[in-house]
Amino acid sequence: MISASGLTKSYGATRAVDDLSFDVRAGVVTGFLGPNGSGKSTTMRMVMGLDLPDAGTVTIDGHRFHDLRWPLREVGALLEAKAIHPGRSAYNHLLAMAQTNSIPRARVDEVLGLVGLDGVARRKAGKFSLGMSQRLGIASALLGDPGVLLFDEPINGLDPEGILWVRTLLKGLAGEGRTIFVSSHLMSEMALTATDLVVIGRGRLIADTTVDDFIASNTVATVLVRSPAADRLAAELRSHGAGVTTRDDGALLVTGLAAAAIGDRSLAAGLPLHELSPVQASLEEVFMDLTSDMVDYHGHSPVQVGS
Amino acid sequence: MTTTAAPPSVVLPAFDEGRAGLANQMRSEWTKLRSVRSTWVCLVVVFVAGIGLSALVTNIEAGRWGSLGLADRATFDPVRFSQTGTFLSQFVVGVLGALAITSEYATGSIRTTLATTSKRTTVLVAKLVVIGVVVFVVAEITAFASFFTSQAILLAHGAKALPAGATILTQVRSTTIPYVSLTDGAALRAVFLSGVYLLLLTLLACGIGFILRHTAGAIAAFVGVLLVLPLIVDVLPSSFASSFEKYLPSNLGLAMTLVTTRKTDFAGVLLPPWPATGLLALYGAAVVVLAGWLLVRRDG
Repeated sequence: MISASGLTKSYGATRAVDDLSFDVRAGVVTGFLGPNGSGKSTTMRMVMGLDLPDAGTVTIDGHRFHDLRWPLREVGALLEAKAIHPGRSAYNHLLAMAQTNSIPRARVDEVLGLVGLDGVARRKAGKFSLGMSQRLGIASALLGDPGVLLFDEPINGLDPEGILWVRTLLKGLAGEGRTIFVSSHLMSEMALTATDLVVIGRGRLIADTTVDDFIASNTVATVLVRSPAADRLAAELRSHGAGVTTRDDGALLVTGLAAAAIGDRSLAAGLPLHELSPVQASLEEVFMDLTSDMVDYHGHSPVQVGS
Repeated sequence: MTTTAAPPSVVLPAFDEGRAGLANQMRSEWTKLRSVRSTWVCLVVVFVAGIGLSALVTNIEAGRWGSLGLADRATFDPVRFSQTGTFLSQFVVGVLGALAITSEYATGSIRTTLATTSKRTTVLVAKLVVIGVVVFVVAEITAFASFFTSQAILLAHGAKALPAGATILTQVRSTTIPYVSLTDGAALRAVFLSGVYLLLLTLLACGIGFILRHTAGAIAAFVGVLLVLPLIVDVLPSSFASSFEKYLPSNLGLAMTLVTTRKTDFAGVLLPPWPATGLLALYGAAVVVLAGWLLVRRDG
C-alpha cells in the first residue's frame, strides 16, 4: 500500500501539494483524480522519490522510496511515456533499467511480449507513437514484478482497443493483490476502472473514498418532469417541500421528491404528466461540481467583437 | 499479448537480500552509453582525428626542419607534435562527458534512472566510472597510436635519435630531425598523460553536466573554461595574469604533455607534469563533489 501523510510541496511561490494525506490499499484499483495542474503528477513524483517533499512523508509498503533495497522490485511507475532517449531501442531502454536491479534479460523479453511490443523491441523508441510509448512505459513499470504500481494518465494516446486493454490489465493486476494507483483527469474513465478514489484540487484532498460512496454522497437525486400544466404542477410540488427549477424547454427539474411521490402528487392534483424520469448524475458531473472552484485554468467563451 | 501480468517466469532478486549497488548501476550505465550513436561518433572522432591531425602536423613540421631558425629548432618537440590531435579531442570528450548526463535531462529519461535506484550518488559514481574507463581506453590507444605514427613519419623524413645526454644545444646544431622513442622516460610520460588529460576533462565535463543539467549550457561552460578563460586572463595586466596562468586547465594540459627534459622555454610558466595532473584532478574532484551534493538535494 501507499501511505501519504501531510505531503506538502511548493515550487517557488506556487504550492503544488498542500498537506495531502491518503492511503492507497492493495487489491483494488485506486483512481487519483483532479483537474489538470491539481498536483497529481507532483504527488506521484514524490512517491517515487523524484521530488523531495517540503514537509510530510510518503511510504511504499511502509518504506520510504530512498530506503528500498531493490526499488524496481517494490514499486513500478509510468510517469511520462515520452521520457525515453529517442535514439535508444525499447529493448536497451528496458535492459538498462533491469540491470540496475539485477533483473535477468529474459524478463525484458517477457514484459515486451506482455505489452505487445516484442515486434518493435529493436526499433528506436523515438520513432514510437504515443500509444506505443505508453505501452513501453507500462512494460517498464511491470519489469520488476512490483507489488505497488503507479500510472500517470496511462490511457493518453491509446486507441479504444488499447484503452480496454489497460483497463483489463489494471483490474487484473489489482486482482493479483497489488496496489494500483492510477491518475486521470477523466472521471468517466475512473468510473469504469477504479474501486477507490482519491480526489484532489489545487493540491488539497477533496475526497478519499470509494467510487460508489463518492457518487452517492455527492449526488442530489433529480427527477425530470414534463407536463402541459407545468406551472401549476411546480406550485403543487413546491407546496410539498420539493425544489423545482424550470428548464428553458419548459421541463421541470425536481429535487427532494422521488419519482413515485411526484406521480402520486400530480394524480391527486389532477394534473397530466407527459414525462417522469429520474436523472442519474454522472461521476463526471459530480467531479466537475466539486472541483469547479479548484480549476486553475478555466476556458472562456470567445467574446464577440464588433457588428 | 495477454490481458493480465503473468507472473515472471524468471527468478527476480529477493526483496530482503542484498541491495541494488554500484555494480548494477555500472552495468546499466554501460548499456545506456553503448546504445546511443553519439557515443560511437565521438569515440571514432577522437581516434581518427587524434591520429590524423597529429600525423598532419608532424609531417608539416618535419618538412620545415631544414629552414627552421635556431629558436624553432630549440623548441622542436617530436612528442608534442604527435599529440596535436588532443587539441581537438579535448572538446569531443567534453561533449561526450556532458551528453552522458545532459541527454537524460533533455529527454526526461533521468526520471527513469532515478526511479530505479534509491541512492542517487550511485548514479553519479557509476556514470563517471563507466564513461571514464571508456574514454581512458580510447584516449590511451589514440595517444600511443599517434605517437608511433608520428615517429614513423619523422623517420621517413630521415630523423635520428639524439645521443644520450643531449642538450638543447645538441638539438639546435643537429643536421637531422630529432626523433624520440618511448624508452625516453619523459616521452613515455607525456604520451601517457595525454590520455590522462582527456580522461580528466571527460570527468570534469560530466560533472558540469550534472550541475547544469542542460546540454548547451554544459558544453558552453566547458568550452569557456578551456578557450575563453585563457583569453580573459590574457587581457589582464601581465604581472597579475602570470601568477595564475599556469593554473588554467588548458595550461595544465600543456604542462602534462610537455617533454620538459630538453625544454627551457616554458620553465616557470608551467607547472611540472605530475603536479599539473594532480591539480587538474583536483578541479575535477571539486566539480564532482558539488555535482553529488546538488544531485541528492534537487528534485529529479
